[in-house]
This record gives sequence, structure tokens and C-alpha cells, in this order.
Amino acid sequence: MAAPSLSTTQQQRPPLYRDAVVVKWALQLFILFLVLFAMWFLSKEAGDNLKAKGISTSFDFLSIDPGISLSEGIDTEPDTGGRALWVGMVNTLRLAIAGIFTATILGVAIGLARLSDNWIVRKFGNVYVETLRNIPLLVQILIWAALLGGLGRVALDNGPINGWLHISNKGVSIPRVFIADGFYQWAVVLLIGAVVGRWVFKQRTLKKDQTGEDTFPLGYAAAVVLVFGIIGWFIHPVFGFLNAPLQAISDAFGAIPEIAMQLALSAVAILFSARWIRNFFAERRTPAGTARLDDDDWFRVIFAAVGAAFACFFFLALWPGLSSWLINSFSDLFQVLADKFGDTPEGNARNGWPVDAKRPDIVQAGNFPNYGPAGLNMTLGFAAVFFSIVLYTGSFIAEIVRGGILAVAKGQTEAAQALGLRRSQMLRKVILPQAFRIVLPPLGNQYLNLTKNTSLAIAVGFSDLVQVGQTVGNQTGKPLSVFAIWMAFYLACSLTISVVVNFFNVRLKIVER
Amino acid sequence: MAAVENFVVNTDEGLLPQADALPPELPSLPPGEWMKKNLFSSPFSTILTFVFGAMALAAINVLVDFIFSDERNWTAPATNLRLLMTQAYPADQYIRVWVSVGLVAVLTGLSTGLWNAGDALSMKRISMWFMTGGSFVALVALLAPFDSGRRTTWLILAAVVVGIGLAIWFGLGERRRSIFVRSIYVVFGVLGAIIGSLWVVKYGNYALADGELVADPDALVAPTTRIPWTILLAILVGTYFIGRGLAGKVAALLKAIVMGAWLLAPFIIVWVILRDPDLDWDHVISTDIPMALAFGFGGGLILYALTKPGLGEIGKIVAGVLLAVAAFNWVAAFFGWYPMLQKARLSFLFLAIFALAAANFAGDRRTRLQLVWGWLGFMAVVHYMATMANTASTLEIQGDFFLGGLSLTLFIAVLTLMLSFPLGVLLALGRTSRMPIFRVLSTVYIETIRGVPLITILFFFSVIIPIFLPSGMGLSETAAIVIGYTLFSAAYLAENVRGGLQAVRRGQFEAADALGLTGSQRTGFIVLPQALRVSIPPLVGQAIATYKETSLVSIVGGFDLTRIADKVISAQTDFLGVKMENLLIISFIYWVGAFSMSKYSQKLERRLGVGER
Amino acid sequence: MSISDATTAVSDELAARDDMIVCTGVDKWYGDFQALKGVTATIKEQEVVVVLGPSGSGKSTWIRCVNRLEQHQGGTIVVDGVELTNDVRNIEKIRSEVGMVFQQFNLFPHLTVLDNITLAPKWVKKQPKDVAEENARKLLDRVGIPEQADKYPGQLSGGQQQRVAIARSLAMEPRVMLFDEPTSALDPEMIKEVLDVMKELAQQGMTMVVVTHEMGFAREVADRIIFMEAGEIVEVGTPEHFFTNPTEDRTKLFLSQIL
Repeated sequence: MAAPSLSTTQQQRPPLYRDAVVVKWALQLFILFLVLFAMWFLSKEAGDNLKAKGISTSFDFLSIDPGISLSEGIDTEPDTGGRALWVGMVNTLRLAIAGIFTATILGVAIGLARLSDNWIVRKFGNVYVETLRNIPLLVQILIWAALLGGLGRVALDNGPINGWLHISNKGVSIPRVFIADGFYQWAVVLLIGAVVGRWVFKQRTLKKDQTGEDTFPLGYAAAVVLVFGIIGWFIHPVFGFLNAPLQAISDAFGAIPEIAMQLALSAVAILFSARWIRNFFAERRTPAGTARLDDDDWFRVIFAAVGAAFACFFFLALWPGLSSWLINSFSDLFQVLADKFGDTPEGNARNGWPVDAKRPDIVQAGNFPNYGPAGLNMTLGFAAVFFSIVLYTGSFIAEIVRGGILAVAKGQTEAAQALGLRRSQMLRKVILPQAFRIVLPPLGNQYLNLTKNTSLAIAVGFSDLVQVGQTVGNQTGKPLSVFAIWMAFYLACSLTISVVVNFFNVRLKIVER
Repeated sequence: MAAVENFVVNTDEGLLPQADALPPELPSLPPGEWMKKNLFSSPFSTILTFVFGAMALAAINVLVDFIFSDERNWTAPATNLRLLMTQAYPADQYIRVWVSVGLVAVLTGLSTGLWNAGDALSMKRISMWFMTGGSFVALVALLAPFDSGRRTTWLILAAVVVGIGLAIWFGLGERRRSIFVRSIYVVFGVLGAIIGSLWVVKYGNYALADGELVADPDALVAPTTRIPWTILLAILVGTYFIGRGLAGKVAALLKAIVMGAWLLAPFIIVWVILRDPDLDWDHVISTDIPMALAFGFGGGLILYALTKPGLGEIGKIVAGVLLAVAAFNWVAAFFGWYPMLQKARLSFLFLAIFALAAANFAGDRRTRLQLVWGWLGFMAVVHYMATMANTASTLEIQGDFFLGGLSLTLFIAVLTLMLSFPLGVLLALGRTSRMPIFRVLSTVYIETIRGVPLITILFFFSVIIPIFLPSGMGLSETAAIVIGYTLFSAAYLAENVRGGLQAVRRGQFEAADALGLTGSQRTGFIVLPQALRVSIPPLVGQAIATYKETSLVSIVGGFDLTRIADKVISAQTDFLGVKMENLLIISFIYWVGAFSMSKYSQKLERRLGVGER
Repeated sequence: MSISDATTAVSDELAARDDMIVCTGVDKWYGDFQALKGVTATIKEQEVVVVLGPSGSGKSTWIRCVNRLEQHQGGTIVVDGVELTNDVRNIEKIRSEVGMVFQQFNLFPHLTVLDNITLAPKWVKKQPKDVAEENARKLLDRVGIPEQADKYPGQLSGGQQQRVAIARSLAMEPRVMLFDEPTSALDPEMIKEVLDVMKELAQQGMTMVVVTHEMGFAREVADRIIFMEAGEIVEVGTPEHFFTNPTEDRTKLFLSQIL
């Protein structure tokens, strides 16, 4: 019989070109090589062309006067390119955050309207959604800009609500609530309050679990924070002393030698890779040892190791500047924080109110009256983009909210009623948590879209990051560098939003259990 | 599984298309009870009714006031309609535009007929449409700033429309529920009414002739407009019935041909019909045709040899060598090592791809010839299109591209979708692949692109790509935009397709493996067809987004619909600063396209049962 | 181990046949869980082997290793003289020689019954379309549903779907058929129609490895029964031996629970 001899043989290795695992990895490495080669080739080609055209890819424009003035923002006459881009970023973020906040409220309202029992309300929601989401956002922005541009001039007394709300072809002006001198000290008090509040919350929850009586943990926690807030409102200048330690941290960071940072980064990369490999082995370990590691697994391990080695090479040799940049950034960050607690540039101690408010004012500048700096002024560009982006995104959010509630409603409602929950309890404990969990990921997506869509502001000349970047790039002849900054900024925004959404998603999954 | 059944399109003649499975119609309430239930069910609801009713009336009032106000200059978009549609396309060549639209009409008619598209509509619904429509017209007439004569005309019109609705309602009695009409006939009816009105109603004749403004508001629409539209409608209806007639006979073959025609149509329309290439026949006969023949038959011979059964690894090696040669041709082109016609490079590349697939066609003579015939047909199309696209156009137009306005918008949207689809599928496959490097590469690409606004990508491609290109290679603005937009859109399409791929159950992969299908066969025959079917609704959603976002082209310098409405018309001396009217008109144009696509997608979703679970 | 006893229990006539599947010390882990612990078994040509055992005992895992839907991590598997390794050519060869029928049928929902059956013959065996279709119709005839050729799987009952799945595997003219609980997902009234097809197949001399809970089928059709528990082969023997006089305690316990 042939069988016994066969059955005692070890697994034979096939020739390399027929080994499924080898072929698989060879193919992948080949494609990886192709992609890297193409990137290298294109960038080399671009480098040559840029040299030929006298354009450089450096970032030195960040510290050079770009010679432009911006239509609005925290600084309309920026003295460096970096400052100009920073103003653009702040403008984009302002638009995005205000937009996200308002669009959510509007979207939820319209979404609920579409589920209403009332025919007119339902139809109203339908028409709203079907009209606005099917017209390009850019066209809507242009329409709003044309509409606002057709309004009358600013005048001293033609409000609609004089002194509180002004609308004209210069945009909209409303009362403004703003952060004043003492805010950061006050924020420290609030932070301490939050920590204490959290402790109280846990204590009250514990008591509820033990005794079963209603202990209102959330109410207690809120009260604690409120008390801290009120006390802090008056005693906040006390925290001015934080200036010194923050300054010290900043100096300490500044004193780190570059090589130490490089080594630290490399160590982190190696540590990560080593931990991954260790976990990988641990995962594959069985009572019978690690004999089961096949070629595929070995390729993964090797890849992780090579990745770490490449990262070290990158930090140490390829781009040593990264380390000094990181050091400077950290140092600057703490410097900025320290400044917030120290004296103002004018030399006054920061003992004003944490938050202040002002009403719009109209000032006579030259021949025509214009909005003064006191109110919260939305320029025509900001208003056009803001209104259209809120209305447009609101229509998408409405659909998401409606879908989320519809997805939960039926069986769950019945089950909750069968348990004898009151309607408010049912909404709070059953429907909303589940609907919220369904709604959250697409909602995060919409927030992301809204943030990206603010870039259309360029069409109406609002100084957002893209518009500023375009101008700066043209002025200084460094479009590539500006593009890199765009990418970094928007990717950071995307990442932030996904991290926040994921955080809540994970929390909600625990709630669900 | 049930979803699949619904895909079986019934081709029986004379059979009405099935209405979507709606719940049995509830007996309608008498008006009083209906209002009580839907408007005044509780005190809160009553308040809502009045508040929202007032808001709705106010909104309609503002809109109607705005539209019919004397300050509005509707002459601006009316005069510039041609500009909005095709920008500066020469008027004496306009027949080409009509032929292009006609081609689309033929294909639309044939497709709707062959696939027996549309629903069945009950007479009850149609009658209710008439009544609602008429009431709305009456409302507009009452709210609009009309003089009494105009208001009376509008009210009479409203009364007639409502009257038709009432006549159907009461004339048919209870039969109104059981008599059905094909929705496609209703569409034809509406189109017929609109186009018929061009012959009767005095919309006015507006035009810009040699820079002179022609505005005759009391005239009929120009014959150059109403005659073509009438012919187009006739073509549409005619081809629909031809399609219906042929549906039962040679349906499978015809459907394949029509689908192929749809794929080819955009290219033929843009590069052959609209561009009107100025063919140099000497060159065609001396170079183009011999080259096509050489590639066709030479390649055919190679493919026939490669499909010999039992060739084994030799076939793969030959295909690999061909691929290397094809790739080398492009690299050489980059460095300018040796000259070669772009067509030849393309043909080499396609030959390599066909050779890679050849192993699948190994078998008897017939299977082998199938591949060869496919190759010959493909080469014919590629060489024909390449020749046409490479020949200079006879059109004399200043500017970068001969399309503009709506035609440019559609061109970019369609081309982007067609090009980004295969790329998106590849990326989705990469992202769900079991091979880690592919997965990482695809994921990084997709997430990076999705994290960045479209406008920055368009800037990158229109401003920065020329820097990347080696000297001597140029790229037109429109081409740069389409490439950038394609790369952008592919990342989003990939995410939609990935959703579908994840919906394919593991058992399907295992069954394919157990049958011995290779990886590519498994993907092509089993996984992708199922995944794509599931991802149709989100894909349509993506198509809508792509269509709407073509408007961004206007920011980077493309003369699309938005730019012409916003910047070009408002800069004409006759219409200085007139923007709102144009923007409203193009909003409506965008809206019609996006809304009908989204309705279609909702219908598909209902049919696929994706929404319910 | 009882395996040596069991081998002696096989009739001489069977022992004289060629080996079809030879498994030697096959190991398989999922994470820390060892699903197969040194499975050693030989299946002869034209033999019908039924694999019994409680759920989670590694039956399915084992036969899925035989056509490499799962990769074994220790020991060797030789099918018809070809060893299962990473060798692409070997995998291709074995896949086309080993047919498999799944618990969930796994028919391709977007293809008609006929296309389901002809797909692999056309693209793997390179049969011309008309030959493949003719074969497919014959096979449909053989499994008793010739009239369903142009329907979609979703339009068929579970029993019909499983018979199509059997026909689909047979179309590749396999040397071995593996059945992974082919009747577990079926309503009781449909089980018989599938089992009848399988019996007929056995009578025609197909080598079959069947994982099932159908004791009647095992008793009637099997040449040998392999009893597995916790990833090990506990007992091997003829149906009479197995049902009337099992040697192992674990087997007895199992039988007492289900009979």
C-alpha cells in the first residue's frame, strides 16, 4: 500500500513560483514598489520642473510678508504668510463650528417634522428636504450672495431691530458674546469643578445603586459645576500664578536637544513595532508552541520590523527637521498657554470678566456708515456661506434623523409599552439612545462634509483657508506647499471629527449593553 | 433572495409593468374626517397647522412675488438659453447638437421599451395630480402681483385643470381605482403638452444674433427650437414602441447592443458628432487603417495562440512579457526615448490585458474565436475613436474646449462617473482584500482623498499638474479637471462598493473556491455582481453628488452652467448685474436632474428591500 | 487508540482498493482553540464514509481542510496522490477533483440554476457552452428537477436548492464528494428528497464523505462511520459495529443521547 509511506512524509515545499503565499507577497511587494517608484519619479520630475521654472517647494513663505490683506478675520493685515493662513484656518473653523451647531438643530427639527402626524408639517418638511438637497450647494451660496448683495446700504437706524439686529449688503450684525481677559483662569476653575462634579456624580450613582432611591446624580453634578463657575467668576485672577510653571515647561521643552527627540521618536517606533510583534506571537501561541506560524505570518512580522526600521531611518536621517519642529511646537504651545495667564501685552494683569457681551454699533467711516467692531458681524460672504451651508446640510441631517428614528421605532416602542414604561421614560431610555447610535456615524459624516464644504466660500470671497491659501500661493509662487498645508489641515479636521464620533459610538455601545 | 426575484423583468408583451408592492389601498376618508385626522387631531396639532400653513403661504407668496415682480429681468436667461446650454457652439453647426440629443432620445426610447420601464398608475392618482396641480396654479394666481386680466387667465387655466381632474374622478366613479395607465404614457403626455405649447403659447422669441439683442415677447418660440423638439419627441415615442415590439423577440442580444451603445454614446457624441473631426483621408488610408488592421489581426493571432488549451504557464509568461512591453512604451514616452503613436501604445496595453485574460478562454475553437472576435471589435472601436479624437476639429472656437454650459456640466459628470467607476471598484476590492499591502495602500488613498475638499483637489490638478508633467507633455484644462475629479470621485465610489462587498456572504466565496474558480473568476462572476447590485442605491446617490458638484468646476475656470449663469451673463452689457434670474433657472435645471435621479434611487431601494430589514 | 481496531474492522475487499484521501496527524487551531488534534484517517476509493459527532467536534473543519477551504497547520493531507500544500497547482487540481455541498447551499443568487451549474465547467474545465449546458440538463434530470433550469435559486424550495447544489458539484465530475451537513438547514419534509439523491450517488460508486446527523442515512448507506469528538477521531467502524456494539464510552454516551 502506498498510503503509509505517503502519510509519513513531511509537507513538501513547492517551487517558489507556485507557492501561493510567496506569489501573494511577491505581487504585493511588486505593486508597492511600483507605487513608490511612481511617486518618487513624479516628485523628482516635479522637482526638476520647479527648478527650471524657479519655483521652490520650501515653506519659507510662512515667515515672509505676503503683502495681502484679508476681508475679515482675527487679523486682516497679516504680517507673515503663516499668520495669513492661520487667519484662514480660524475663519474656516468658525464657519464650520457655527454651521455644525445650527445645522444640527435645524436638521433635527426638520427630521421630526417629516415624521409628524400633521399633514401640513409633514409636507413642509418634505418640500424643504427635496428642494434644498437637490440644488448644488455652490449655486445656493451664489443665490444667497446675490440676495444679500441686493439689500440696501448700512444705515444708522434701519435695523430690522435697531441696536440688536442689522441686515444690509454689508452682511449681518448681531450682539456678540466673547471671551475676555479672565477666561483662561476661569476655565481652570471650571476644570476643577468638572473633576469634583464627576466625583459627586459617581458617589450619587453609587448611592442610587445601593439604596435604589432617586439621587439625581446629574443634577448634583451640574450644581457642583455651577457653584464652581459662580465662585470662579469672582476669584479667577488667583490663578494668574500658573504663568510661571507653564513658562517653565515651555523652557524645558525648548532645551531638549534635537538628537534626544530623534532618539525618542525612533524608540517609540521600535517600541510600537516590538509590541505588535510580541502581541502577534502571543496571539499565535498555543499549548503546542508556535509551530503554526506559516509563511504569511512571517511576512507580516518581517514587514512590521522593516516598517520600524524605516521609521527610525526617517526620523534620524531623512527628515531630522521633524524633531526640531516638534520641539519648537511643544515649546510654543506652552508659551502661548503661559501668556494667557501672564500679563496682557499692554502690561495689565488679567483681572477682567471671563466672558463679556456687546451690542452691535454703527460707525461713520468716511462717507458711509458701517458696522463697528462691537457686534458680532457676519460679512456678506460669511452670511451667504453660513446660511446656505446650514440649510443644505440641514436637509441631509433631517433625512438621517428621520431614518434613525424610523429604524428604531416600531417593535421597540411596543416592547417598551409592554414593560409599562412611561412615554418620557420610553423616549429617554429606549428610543433615543438607539436612534442616536444609528444616527451618529452618518451624522459625523455630514459634519465632515460641512467642514469640507466651507471651502466653497472662495466663490464669494470669504477669507477661509482655501481662499487665503490660494492668494498666498499665487503671491509667493508656492502652490505645492500651500496644498500640503490644506491637506494637513483638512485631514486633521476629519480625524478630529472621526475621533469624537468614535468616542461617542463606543460609549453608546456600552450604554446599549 | 426575494430581492433577486424582482430582478426578473417580465418581458411578456402587453403586460403592464408591475407596480411596486404597495400595501392595499386604504379606503379614502371623506374630506372632513381626513382633515380632522391629519390637521386637527389635537390642540397642539391645530396650532401647528395654522403656524405652518401661514409659513407655507408666506413662503409661496415671497417666491411668487419675486418671480413675477416687474423688477425681474427674465429676458436675460431667455436670451442666453443657447449660451447656458452649449456656450459658444457655432450656430450654423447647431444641427450637430440636435443630432446628439436625438441619439440620446433613440437610446432612451429603445431602452424604456426593451426593459418595459415604468409603473402602472391608477386613474385615481392621475386625477388627484390634476386637482392638486390646478389648485396650486390657482394659489399662485391669487398670490402673484398680477393685473386683473392676467389673474383671470391664470384662474381659468386652473379651473380647466381642476375640471379635468374632477371629470376623471367622477366620470370613472369607482373604476378610477382599477383602471391603470403606464406611467411612461403619462410622461409622453406631459412632454407632448410642453412641446405642443411651443406651437401655441407666445413665450416670446429671444436671441442674441451677432451680438444684437432680439427680444420679441409676443412671438412664438423660434422655429429652430420648436421643430427640433417636436421631431425629438416623435423619435422618442417611436423608438419606445419599436423597443416594445422587439422586446419579446431578440431581447437578450438587443439589450446587450443597447447597453454597449449607451457606453459608447458619450464618446461618439462628444468626439465624433459635436467635434466634427476634419479627417485627412490620405493619412487615414495610409496609416490609420493599416495600423488598426495590423493590431487587429496580429493581436488576434497572438490571442488565438494563447488560448490553446494546455498551454499552462507559458501563456502567463507571454502575457507578462506583453504587459512589460506595453508598460515600457509609456515609460519611454515619458522620457521621449523613441517616438510612437499614442494609439499604438494604447493598443499594446489592451493587447496585454486581453492576453492576461486569455487563459480563461482556453477551450475549443469556438470559445477561442470568441475572444478573437471580441478583440477585433474592440480594436475597431478603439482605433476609430482614437483616430477621431486625434484629428483636428473643424469647429472654430476660441478657448480651451468646445463645450460649455449645461453640455460641459453633463460631459464632466458623465465622463467622471464612467472613468471613476472601474477605479472605485478596484479600490474597494483592494480595501477588502486579504493582502495587507493592497489594503493599506487603498485605505490610505481613500481616506486621504475623502478627508480633503474637492475644490483643493481641483486646484491641485488645474494649477499644479502642469508642473508634474515632463516637458513637452501638455494637458488641457478640461482634461486636468476631469482627471482630478475622477480620482476624487473614485474614492467615494469605492466606499459605496465596499458596503456591497461586505454584504456578500462568506458562503459565496467558499462555494466559488470549492468549485475551483480562480481568484479573478470568483471576483468577476460571483462577488462583484452581487456586491454591485446591493450598492446600486448608494451609487446613484454618488452619481447625484457628482452631478451637483460639477458646479465647482466654475471656480477653477471651467465655463460650466454655474459660471455662465453667475459670471458670463451678468457681464453682458445688456444684462449688467442680472444674476438672480439666471441662478434660479439653473437651480431648476440642476434640481430636475438630481431630483429625478433620487426618485429613481428611492424606487430601486424599495424594490431591493434595502430600506427595510 | 481505537483506530487500529477500526481499520481491522474494514472488510478485506475495501482494504484492497486504492486510497483516495489520506490524512495523517492533521492539526488545526483557531486562536488558542485546537479544532483538530492529530486526525488520522484513510478513505478508500468508492467508499462512503459518514462522520458523526456532537456539534463543535471538528467534523466540518476536517472536511473543509480536505479541499483547503481551511488551511491545516500540522500533519499532511493527500488527496488522490496529491498533497495539499501552498502549491498553487496542487490546490487547483484538488479543488477540481473534490466537490463540496454546503449546509446553506451557497447557490449563486444572481445566476439561474443552469448558469449556476455550467459556470465552473465552462470557466474551469473549459467546456464549450452547449456541452456544459447539455451536461447540466442531464444532471438536473438526475437530481429530479429538470424543469427548474431557468429559474433563480430564490424561487426554489430548500430541498430543490440543495439538489441544484449537488448537481453543481457533480458538473465538475469530481472524484470525491464532501457533504457538510447537507440536510441541516432543510425542513423535515424536504430532507428525504436530498437524501435520496445522495443514496443514488453512493450506489453509483461515488467516493463520499458525509457530515450529517441523519442516523438512518448513516446506517443504510455508509461503508464506514467515523465518530469524532473534541477534534479527535474517537472510533471508526462499520455501521453494524458502530450502532450495535460501540467500544468507546464516549461513543456510547453520544448514541444514548441521540437515539
